[in-house]
Amino acid sequence: MKISAQQYAKSLYDLVADKPEKEVKVALKNFVALLGRNRELNKASEIINVFTALWNKEHGEVTAELISARELGPTAREIVTNYLKERTGAKKITLNEEIDQKLIGGFVLRYESKVLDGSLKTSLEDLKNKISN
Amino acid sequence: MSTTKDFIIEQLKSEISGYKAEISEKSVGKVLKVSDGIALISGLAEAMMSEILMFKTEEGEVAGVALNLEENQVGAIILGDYTAIKEGDEVHATKRILEVPVGEAVIGRVLNPLGEPLDGKGKVETTKFYPIEKIAPGVITRESVKQPVQTGIKAIDAMIPIGRGQRELIIGDRQLGKTAIAIDTIINQKGQNMKCIYVAIGQKESKVAGIVAKLQEAGAMDYTTVVLAGASTSASLLYIAPYAGCAMAEYFLDKGEDVLIIYDDLSKHAVSYREISLLLRRPPGREAYPGDVFYLHSRLLERACKLNKDFGGGSITALPIIETQAGDLSAYIPTNVISITDGQIFLEPDLFYKGNRPAVNAGLSVSRVGSSAQIKAMKKVAGKMRLEAAQYRELAAFAQFGSDLDPETKKKLDRGQRLYEIFKQDQYQPLAVAKQVLVYYALINGFMDNVPVDKVREFEIGLYKYADLNDEALKMITEKKELSEEIENKIKKLIEDYKATVDYLIK
Repeated sequence: MKISAQQYAKSLYDLVADKPEKEVKVALKNFVALLGRNRELNKASEIINVFTALWNKEHGEVTAELISARELGPTAREIVTNYLKERTGAKKITLNEEIDQKLIGGFVLRYESKVLDGSLKTSLEDLKNKISN
Repeated sequence: MSTTKDFIIEQLKSEISGYKAEISEKSVGKVLKVSDGIALISGLAEAMMSEILMFKTEEGEVAGVALNLEENQVGAIILGDYTAIKEGDEVHATKRILEVPVGEAVIGRVLNPLGEPLDGKGKVETTKFYPIEKIAPGVITRESVKQPVQTGIKAIDAMIPIGRGQRELIIGDRQLGKTAIAIDTIINQKGQNMKCIYVAIGQKESKVAGIVAKLQEAGAMDYTTVVLAGASTSASLLYIAPYAGCAMAEYFLDKGEDVLIIYDDLSKHAVSYREISLLLRRPPGREAYPGDVFYLHSRLLERACKLNKDFGGGSITALPIIETQAGDLSAYIPTNVISITDGQIFLEPDLFYKGNRPAVNAGLSVSRVGSSAQIKAMKKVAGKMRLEAAQYRELAAFAQFGSDLDPETKKKLDRGQRLYEIFKQDQYQPLAVAKQVLVYYALINGFMDNVPVDKVREFEIGLYKYADLNDEALKMITEKKELSEEIENKIKKLIEDYKATVDYLIK
């Protein structure tokens, strides 16, 4: 049976979790050798993605993407961070900020499989849909 | 004056200052794969079964329905144009189960399974929506079937009576008149306090257009809704069509009304479900149908019911249609649906080509509800008649071999031949129950024994015309619904008077 990227990532996590650096190095070496032997090195990027998600979940870390029309100030950032902490119960929040002027105003926040869309662009589109229907 | 410019501007300002953009958190996913009307989506961790999903595409939003909830992905059927959806498109869950518009506004309309108009008469004006999947009414809400559905077809009303709340399967090969029976039944519901829903699943649109025109001509569209998922529609719409039709019927059921719903036909429905299941990679079973194909039809037909007084007393009568291949009743889908329904009307090619139309095989057709779904007058004539028909079938097979028959047998054969002549009926000519009683009464009481077999139909038509002119007896049957001695005498006199006017009787 083929081993899925999820299964690889899960076993990798079990291997390296709470281990000293030396052991991790050996484990990683063996893991890559296994991937090579199974001819599944092409799954590497997917495994890394899943592994990151798994690691974040276990350690209470949330990576969120914050897209805004203009550069955000520290207060806005803090509000978002607090909101995420409250919603997810995470201890550490990593915000990846991005500027996208197409949004016109407001922001879009993405985390896990959720989206909080407060952009002016979407509001206008919704308004357009409501009026045209 | 309150409608001054200042006032309006003042109001506008207060509205604007009070306006707050509503933003809510949405559960989203990404399309991993799209193919043949099916999409695999990652994310959407909180999606519900049969929840509406909206795909954000460059050409606007496309709706879909979640059907497979798996550990890492969601499988969905796409209800709109799936070619607009691309890999990586965003999908969000709407927290709404798939629903269709219901209400009085759907009557007289031709709609697609999502309740969108196909007849160019504009949007369905209603505020009520019913979910397309609903658990069937439970035991305490039901009661036994006792009122008749008059199909207007002589052979069916007499031998295979259908009751309100019953599920009667119409089964047979292609081109034997299965749809014709259903359409005649709809036409005959005029003035019978019945709403009709005709669900066309995978039918040719030209055929459905013909049906709608015929219904309009007969004035039947005043109480009929057509739900159309044509042959060119995607499998996902074919799959939801009967459930959508049933949801529309349930609105009237909840109002305590009687509804007749026709699923034409469920074999194509099963095929579309097989297509979806295989694309969703569910394991195939017998004839490549998925394991839950029985449940597919049982949960649909179980929604047909007769509710008792405490629950409004409404009913849904279902007439599913199944098309067999070369008369093979033991194929997977036919056996399934036969076992779910309360009886079947079996149409046979031999009878059809001999000219016995409708080609109902009286031996293989049954109604498990039986005579409790007949009016008293019909019960009285039909009981004896069913016996005559059975005896004739037995003797006819046997009498082919010999010509020397005793007079008793000869008499039974003659009677049977005339009975089978009476069973013949043209399409779109449903017959009122009083007239059916009249002609059967004439037959079983020997009034037609001296009418030549090739003149039976002529005699019959003349009899109806004569009865229309002297309609006292017919009126009494329609009102009293039974055959009292008084009515019997009136019928006897009517038939004898009529016989005096015809000149082809055997002396």
